Amino acid sequence: MRFFKIEKSKMVGLAKRLSETHAVFIPARADQGYLRFCKLDFRSEKQNVESIETLSFWGYRNTIIPPKEVFFPQTEVLFTFSEQMPELSVAIQPLPTVILGIRPCDARAINFLDKVFINKDTQANIENGAGNFNDPYYAEKRGRSVIISLACNNPQSTCFCTSLGGSPDGEAGADIILFDLHENLIARPVSKKGEEFIGEFRDWFKEPGEKELNKKNELVAASRDRMRPIEGILNAEAKLDNLFADFLWNEIHMKCLGCGICTYLCPTCHCFDITDEVRNKRGRRLRCWDSCMFPSFTLHASGHNPRPTYRERMRQRIMHKFNYCPKNFREIFCVGCGRCVRNCPVNLDIREIICRILETKNAK
Amino acid sequence: MDEIEREIRGTVRKLFEDNRIGLFIGYIKGSLPLRTTPGFINGLAGIETLVWNSFCRNNLTVYLPRFFAPDPRRKEAKLPSIGVLVKGCDSRSLVNLINENQIPRENLCIIGVNCAGLVDESKIQDSMGEARMNEIIEVDEEKDGIMIIDEEKHRMKFKKEDVLADVCLNCKYPTPVLYDILVGGKASQKHLSVRKDDRVESFEKKNIEERWKYFQEQVSKCIRCYACRQACPNCYCKLCFAEQTKPKWVGTGNDISDIMFYQIGRIFHQAGRCVDCGACVRACPVNIDLRIFTSKLVKDVKELFDYEAGLSLEEVPPLANFKPEDTQGFITEP
Amino acid sequence: MQNNPYLPLPVRIKRITSENVARDLKTFDLVFINEQDRKKFKYTCGQFALISVLGAGESPIGIASSPMDEGFIQFTVKRYPTGVVTTALYNLSEGDTIGVRGPYGNGFPMKDLEGGNIVIVGGGFALTTLRSLTKYIIHEKNRAHYGNITILVAAREPGEMLYKYDLEEWSKRDDLKLIRTVDKETENWTGKTGFAATVLKEIAPSSENAYAIVCGPIVMIRTCIAVLLQLGFPANRIISSLEMRMKCGIGKCGRCNIGPVYVCKDGPVFSYEQLQRLPDEY
Repeated sequence: MRFFKIEKSKMVGLAKRLSETHAVFIPARADQGYLRFCKLDFRSEKQNVESIETLSFWGYRNTIIPPKEVFFPQTEVLFTFSEQMPELSVAIQPLPTVILGIRPCDARAINFLDKVFINKDTQANIENGAGNFNDPYYAEKRGRSVIISLACNNPQSTCFCTSLGGSPDGEAGADIILFDLHENLIARPVSKKGEEFIGEFRDWFKEPGEKELNKKNELVAASRDRMRPIEGILNAEAKLDNLFADFLWNEIHMKCLGCGICTYLCPTCHCFDITDEVRNKRGRRLRCWDSCMFPSFTLHASGHNPRPTYRERMRQRIMHKFNYCPKNFREIFCVGCGRCVRNCPVNLDIREIICRILETKNAK
Repeated sequence: MDEIEREIRGTVRKLFEDNRIGLFIGYIKGSLPLRTTPGFINGLAGIETLVWNSFCRNNLTVYLPRFFAPDPRRKEAKLPSIGVLVKGCDSRSLVNLINENQIPRENLCIIGVNCAGLVDESKIQDSMGEARMNEIIEVDEEKDGIMIIDEEKHRMKFKKEDVLADVCLNCKYPTPVLYDILVGGKASQKHLSVRKDDRVESFEKKNIEERWKYFQEQVSKCIRCYACRQACPNCYCKLCFAEQTKPKWVGTGNDISDIMFYQIGRIFHQAGRCVDCGACVRACPVNIDLRIFTSKLVKDVKELFDYEAGLSLEEVPPLANFKPEDTQGFITEP
Repeated sequence: MQNNPYLPLPVRIKRITSENVARDLKTFDLVFINEQDRKKFKYTCGQFALISVLGAGESPIGIASSPMDEGFIQFTVKRYPTGVVTTALYNLSEGDTIGVRGPYGNGFPMKDLEGGNIVIVGGGFALTTLRSLTKYIIHEKNRAHYGNITILVAAREPGEMLYKYDLEEWSKRDDLKLIRTVDKETENWTGKTGFAATVLKEIAPSSENAYAIVCGPIVMIRTCIAVLLQLGFPANRIISSLEMRMKCGIGKCGRCNIGPVYVCKDGPVFSYEQLQRLPDEY
């Protein structure tokens, strides 16, 4: 188990160096906190100053918009066309990607999205017609990426990663995990890619002392201690098997406004729409984020809608995350990041919904 | 505050006991320290959960059209009788909805509450100085202000007038304009004398390039979640123009021109209807400064048509009406 | 980009046939422009493809031709007034180029159908993939693998019946039994009159060593399944094909799910037994 150390001031230099050969994404400061992950651009003076600020990670909890948009952007051009022939698919990022400062919950979520989008058995599936396809737009960006996560010293009261199998120092999805010791960062490579990365930039890192490693352990323990896990979420799948027709959905949906905040800010939500846009004789086919909470999500051309009201759509959201995805991908598609809890305009709290579900007696 | 809370609970209890309503929409305790959440009470059992405090920001009238939308699936032919708690701004939304035939007046039991202004939690957060990135763990509303305790156990007190929501700073109607029962005695009008929100005036002084630049900067954060639209009681269209496919007025992605078209379209659809309740601003997760645009719109409507939305059940909105003295400057000669 | 499943393959419209009196159903004969695309597009009965009109969008349509047809593939498309793509398709002419990607879906369980009797019940527009199935099983190379074939075709009126040219041919064959029925007869109608379920009950096909495949409007499916169960067909030998709003067609966009299954990927063909285990959300 090897650890390394790098001063935060040096980290800025490393990020700058990386940005010459990689697309480096860091959480970007905005007026009211950290909005989203943005690509580092050291060419602008303003960005320079901001980057130094950001990479001190002062006051950083998490971004509002999750880092899924690095691999699964909100709007992506699938291809362009003129007249009736599609042209070559659009080039994706020419540079390999580094995401720096992603939280363990979000890194774990990227792993979940990998299960949805990436499937290496494509050739066999093309022949059979059915089965799992590979999404090249996601896969190619993801394949050349290095995820450097930052363990949490300060989980918020709305964080509940430990209730779902995660942890403030969880390693799932990360290639390297960093620990924030205020002036220094401790780095631990977690995957082969992480090892190679440290190897390539070995000169930037030092060996940490025992005091520093102890401090790291203290911080980790303190973080884990702060979590107040919700018992039993892992049982939600089994409970929900029998609750599809239950009355509880009639009540849960009532205050939902039907916006897309919870789905768009969720690091595991991945529903999308495909539309065409044309201007003059040229056009493009786009893939854009979509939300199961929008009424026209499942609207048929005939006018029939299998999910006509908020009730069905709320049920779909919860069942998809806590019942259908566990069946299909063996993971609950929630990592406990708390964004939906913090940002829902009407304070619809998914933790309360889960507790309600766990308490519901199965009606026969 | 507690008095008003008790008054609300007592009033609602009586409404249920007299069988005047089948459902009451009010505020109940939220799951986060500075929040309340809409509560749907359908019997005496839920009465004690109703609260009233300076964090009751949601505009509850947004839920009402749902209960009265024509629905072939509705089993009971009779429309429900619903009670709702409204503040001054909310009551104006209610008047608007009734005027636009979205909810029948006779099926409503409106409890109006004299509002002393609401707190914007982000203002509290921003005023915490060094501790402004800390999470607030506990809140206590006391007679002389808001007391908070953060995660590092710092205690801070804020005067309510210093952390009032922007929409409340210029509030002209703290007493609801439409109600069946009024609670809350005489609202403290103290906040009306607090510094005004004069951002619209200073915004207007900028030249057009600056204003356009500001608009673009703000809406470039938009993620098309449509929370502003869904939170707005006036946006009750079954199919929003932004989601129509035939014809496709606006694209669905986050292209800046599509975002601008959506934002401009939605805001201008509020002309003569927006009551400046701030629901859209509150809902936006990326803190777009929507209010500068809605309040400018409200100001323009007042100047052009001498009209304020949502004040009376007898009025006709200016865009559904014509007066001979209306400005005609925009009509050009062929 | 390697193996991009979102890229439509260019096809040319070779022929357009108008299928019904209401003139909102058309069958398109499509020919692949690139030879290697044609070779790779191997499909089985019951699968669908996403037809692409660049600029309008994509629409999932069941494949109406049978795998035994060489050199072309067929789709029958209904034009919906609210449909952007179906309207655009409707306005195209022979010689125009559109896109196709697929084939997607699980198709009918052809291996299970071999060696047994087959009862096919098709209502209205849903006859399209059943036509693929029928043409396949009665093909001279395949006929011997299957036992008795009973086909019941239902439509609102005679003018609305699809594939009249095929039905004529099939009615002349002695190796299958074809019954046509309409809800409302017109002059010169020689077939039966009555709803599909009623006529199905009348013909009472034997459930012995038989599979039943029912496609049509949801009400028709429900009533016919009730009749089939009464006739002794077990739930796992009653097959149906579902429709859902789709976008990606490959199980990623999250739109077409019924419970944990995706209609595009795990369907659209399901047995009644499978449907009973799925939530009632379609």
